[in-house]
Amino acid sequence: MSEVNAATAAQSPALSWRQKVLFGQVAVFVIWMAVWQILAGLELIDPFISASPWSVVVRLADWFVNGTALGSFWYQVLVTLGEAAGGFVLGVIAGVFLGILLGQIDYLADVLNPYIKFFNAVPRIVLGSIFVMWLGLGLPAKAFLAAVLVFFVVFFNAFQGARSVDPNLVANIRILGGSRMDVVRNVVLPSALTWIIASLHVALGLAIVGAIVGEILGAQHGLGLLIKFSQNNFDSPGVYGCMFVIGAIVLSVEAVMARVEKRLLKWQKPKSSTSAQDA
Amino acid sequence: MAEQAARLGGVKFEGVSKRFVSPIGETMTALRDVNLEIQPGQFCAIVGPTGCGKSTTLTMAAGLDRPSEGRVSVSGQPVNGITKGASFMFQQDALLPWKSIVANVALGPTFNKVPQKDALDAARDWLRTVGLAGFESHYPHQLSGGMRKRASLAAALINKPSMLLMDEPFSALDVQTRAIMSNELLSLWDKTKPSVLFVTHDLEEAIGLADKVVVITAGPGTVKAVFDIDLPRPRGPLQEIRFEPRFLELHHQIWEALRDEVQRTYARQSVPTPAGKAKP
Repeated sequence: MSEVNAATAAQSPALSWRQKVLFGQVAVFVIWMAVWQILAGLELIDPFISASPWSVVVRLADWFVNGTALGSFWYQVLVTLGEAAGGFVLGVIAGVFLGILLGQIDYLADVLNPYIKFFNAVPRIVLGSIFVMWLGLGLPAKAFLAAVLVFFVVFFNAFQGARSVDPNLVANIRILGGSRMDVVRNVVLPSALTWIIASLHVALGLAIVGAIVGEILGAQHGLGLLIKFSQNNFDSPGVYGCMFVIGAIVLSVEAVMARVEKRLLKWQKPKSSTSAQDA
Repeated sequence: MAEQAARLGGVKFEGVSKRFVSPIGETMTALRDVNLEIQPGQFCAIVGPTGCGKSTTLTMAAGLDRPSEGRVSVSGQPVNGITKGASFMFQQDALLPWKSIVANVALGPTFNKVPQKDALDAARDWLRTVGLAGFESHYPHQLSGGMRKRASLAAALINKPSMLLMDEPFSALDVQTRAIMSNELLSLWDKTKPSVLFVTHDLEEAIGLADKVVVITAGPGTVKAVFDIDLPRPRGPLQEIRFEPRFLELHHQIWEALRDEVQRTYARQSVPTPAGKAKP
């Protein structure tokens, strides 16, 4: 993520820093898989519980080719992705909107403060059950659960971002003739954006968590249900297989997000990065 | 148009006091019974010790703060909301870091409903005027401190303000850059002649730039003395005029008034007063 050791990279012309990192990343994966495979092969760990990389590959290949007990594997992936994406978008929009709004209007922030804390304290899994009761086994219940998880992270960051605006910038916009909306558009949103973007990485993971947990609580399709189904059949390669697929999906979405982030924050001095404030 | 510009921009403080309530509930008086008048087109420097409330005069003239007592009027109108026709230059530049330099300078006209294209054209013209042609699409962090000041100056002047408020605008710059910026400020001011309230702690800068120097007392601040600076204009480089006899004479007079206040502030901040420096 950062080019901390750019200087080191410059010294060795044979391999660039990125190549070295990539090499290290692949090496870690290979060693991890090899150790796992060997341990399972020698039965030093119970292959029935811990499976083995090869059995996971076989299980995934079987699912891809022949489909799962719930139908096509791709369809399960799509269902989960759709729920997570819906929840992510909903949660981010609501979080940014309310965060900025309350960040601007002190009265509203003070009035709603205990309610936000109350809802933030409610265990999300309870909300999952409530949403399944309200909205049934389809996509909306999971999307809502994912949205709630995403919302609080984004909300607290957007709120903090809107609060930590440089008062000089606001004063300057107003003196130059800007309206309140001009202030929000030109100062509050852009300066909260650094905070919001930092929260999106956490939010992305939470959107997937919301979708999967929602599916485990009650669903007809999706990777969460597939995990539960595999677990009930003592199919440990299936459980690990779903885990890897989810991980791969999150990694690729992260890569896209990193690009968008770079673009949105291109005005920043290189190197400084704001850390995520988890809620 | 020229007539109107001459009429606009006068500033008047009548019996102005300003109190702040600190977060722990203590009332702090920043300014006490300030009476001050700045003619349209006049360049007025405000000097005083640190923390005497001189910046508060600017925020009240801009309409960002309300006086606790008394009245502030600009262009003959009592200040009520953000003052029209004012521009402000802060100690830290108030450029938006996420906008390019040209977009920053174009903000003023954009807010005043000038079409985007015209606003950008005007911004480019102003950037040329302040010597920043070629840097239009740079972001603020890519410019040096002096260049950011030039951009801020362009952003402040593009709205053709009748009153320009400057709060130690050049204090963060190195000595050479500051001298250059002072000279450029004077030549730009000469073109449109807004009235200027220029807060500084640098007496040479104040005398070199202003028509009138106001000395504010140690907090709570009030006007201690007002000096008319009768050095002829155009003044030429500050580095040269500061050795002229009249400049030295004025410097001596104003320093006499300022010294006590500075020492009083100093004595308050550092408990053991250095021997020999304390005034009886």
